[in-house]
Amino acid sequence: MKQTKTSIFVFMAPAMILFLLVFAYPVVRTTLMSLFNVQSVNSAVSTWSFAGLGNYTKLFSTRLFLISLGNIGKIWLFCGIATLGLGLILAIILTQGLRGQKFFRAAIYLPNVIAAVAVGYMWLLYVFNNRFGLMKSLFSGLGITSMANYQWLSAEHMFLSMCIAYVFSNTGYFMLMYIAGIEKISLDYYEAATIEGANVFQKFTHITLPLISGVLGTSLVLWTTKTMGFFALSQVFSNVSTITPMVYTYQTLFGSEISADSVNAGIAASSAVVMTIVVMVVSMISKHTVKDEGYEL
Amino acid sequence: MTTKEKYREPFKLRKELTRLPGYLVVTIWVTFTFFMIGWIILASFSTTKEIFTGKLLASGINLDNFVKAFTKNKALLNLGNSVIYTVPSCILIILVCAPAAYCLSRVRFRMNQIFEKLIIIGLAIPNIMIVMPLFSVVNVLNISGSRGTLIFLYTACSVPYTTFFLMTFFRGISTTYEEAAAIDGCGPIRCFWEIMFPLVQPAVVTVTIFNFIGKWNEYFMALIFANRSELRPIGVGLYQTVTSMMNSGDWAGMFASVVIVFVPTVIIYIFLSDKIVSGVTAGGVKG
Repeated sequence: MKQTKTSIFVFMAPAMILFLLVFAYPVVRTTLMSLFNVQSVNSAVSTWSFAGLGNYTKLFSTRLFLISLGNIGKIWLFCGIATLGLGLILAIILTQGLRGQKFFRAAIYLPNVIAAVAVGYMWLLYVFNNRFGLMKSLFSGLGITSMANYQWLSAEHMFLSMCIAYVFSNTGYFMLMYIAGIEKISLDYYEAATIEGANVFQKFTHITLPLISGVLGTSLVLWTTKTMGFFALSQVFSNVSTITPMVYTYQTLFGSEISADSVNAGIAASSAVVMTIVVMVVSMISKHTVKDEGYEL
Repeated sequence: MTTKEKYREPFKLRKELTRLPGYLVVTIWVTFTFFMIGWIILASFSTTKEIFTGKLLASGINLDNFVKAFTKNKALLNLGNSVIYTVPSCILIILVCAPAAYCLSRVRFRMNQIFEKLIIIGLAIPNIMIVMPLFSVVNVLNISGSRGTLIFLYTACSVPYTTFFLMTFFRGISTTYEEAAAIDGCGPIRCFWEIMFPLVQPAVVTVTIFNFIGKWNEYFMALIFANRSELRPIGVGLYQTVTSMMNSGDWAGMFASVVIVFVPTVIIYIFLSDKIVSGVTAGGVKG
């Protein structure tokens, strides 16, 4: 149908204006900020002084930032293996025609609709509690005293505990994504394979896995975006060992209990740029290496 | 491997037995989830002493924690704020994004490709990259104390996701509808709202549910742009409440505060889980 220029403008303008105001302009300004010495977020542009890549070198020599990078790396890798792995296993189980399959899918996704702060507190206050916690009663019920007395919330175990809570609350989402991928595969392939005498494992590696590679690639991009935004849980499990780049940047911007005098918007901006670049690079790589077939992103 | 549940297959013990490990895994997972949520709900109706002695509800259902949360701890104000932030932005998002999604997916014009690329890039930009300039703009405009700020930001931040989500659905509609409408002398804008928009209503409902849950649970932007006690939504309020209750050791109160935060979205989920689950599997991009 023919559309006039005016109607195109009417359709597009509101969305594009919002996009320019809230995405385009801030991205440009944050990138510029990262190249200048900027006292606070509210400093006028006239007070900025050019620093070149100074903020970045400072950033990468800041211990706390490096810790946070290490943490997010560990979260990305280990929680990623756990979340995506468990998601895939659950997806395979829940596409076999189990009774109550629909209920199980819905129940496993449930934690995803609960606010991250609330999920965090459910684990922090209840599950990991060393007096009445679920872990304690579970393991003492099973008679494993060493695990029942495990100090989940001591400084050295805090990171692990946070990771468990994170994996638990994200698995359902990736499970549903994989289920969608698996259910798009035509049953004919499996029937042919059965006739040829393939076992369950062969069917999985030779049919399911290659045909959901697109979904796997998409899930990796989403996982990267998600972990880069890791914030609320880290605040809840508040500890130096659980700091993430988001929390570090937030604290550099607005100050924190740990370092109230370290407010520096230029460094915060460079940290934001680093995070954005990581997300973009991972998205680009997986877009070019994994052919996106089967799953519409 | 996949079974489309078209018919209910007869119960065959051998077949069910091979699925036993699968049943076991999902049952353990789901039991754990329900036990955790159930215990916390029961704890929120108990006293701190009962929690520590392991006798939940020993003195019957105790509403004190909730009464206290609503009267003393501003839970009601926080809930109200969450509604004020969430509902208008969900409506505005659709008013802004539906026409854009329609235009991008159905109409060929010069900037089409560029706009589409921008939307996709927007999907991957982390919040942290945009908050700093926004924060300074909000300060310059002196609107940091206004609830409208967060409504505006929530609306704008959802533009890429919602537009992208709806585009897929507009692509799937036959062009004959618009052609017929044009022949009948219907203008493009009226044609959109009266013919095309109703056709994608299921997708609009799904994306609105996601937006609602997403905004309701949003924490980072709210922490930065609504961190005065009278502006806080429920999530930020929870953080403040629990932090202060930690010091006083009011465990029952903390559990009640947690329950107040998750009950609204969980209730929505109970009623709409079908729609939400199929929405994620149909190509939901962000959770």
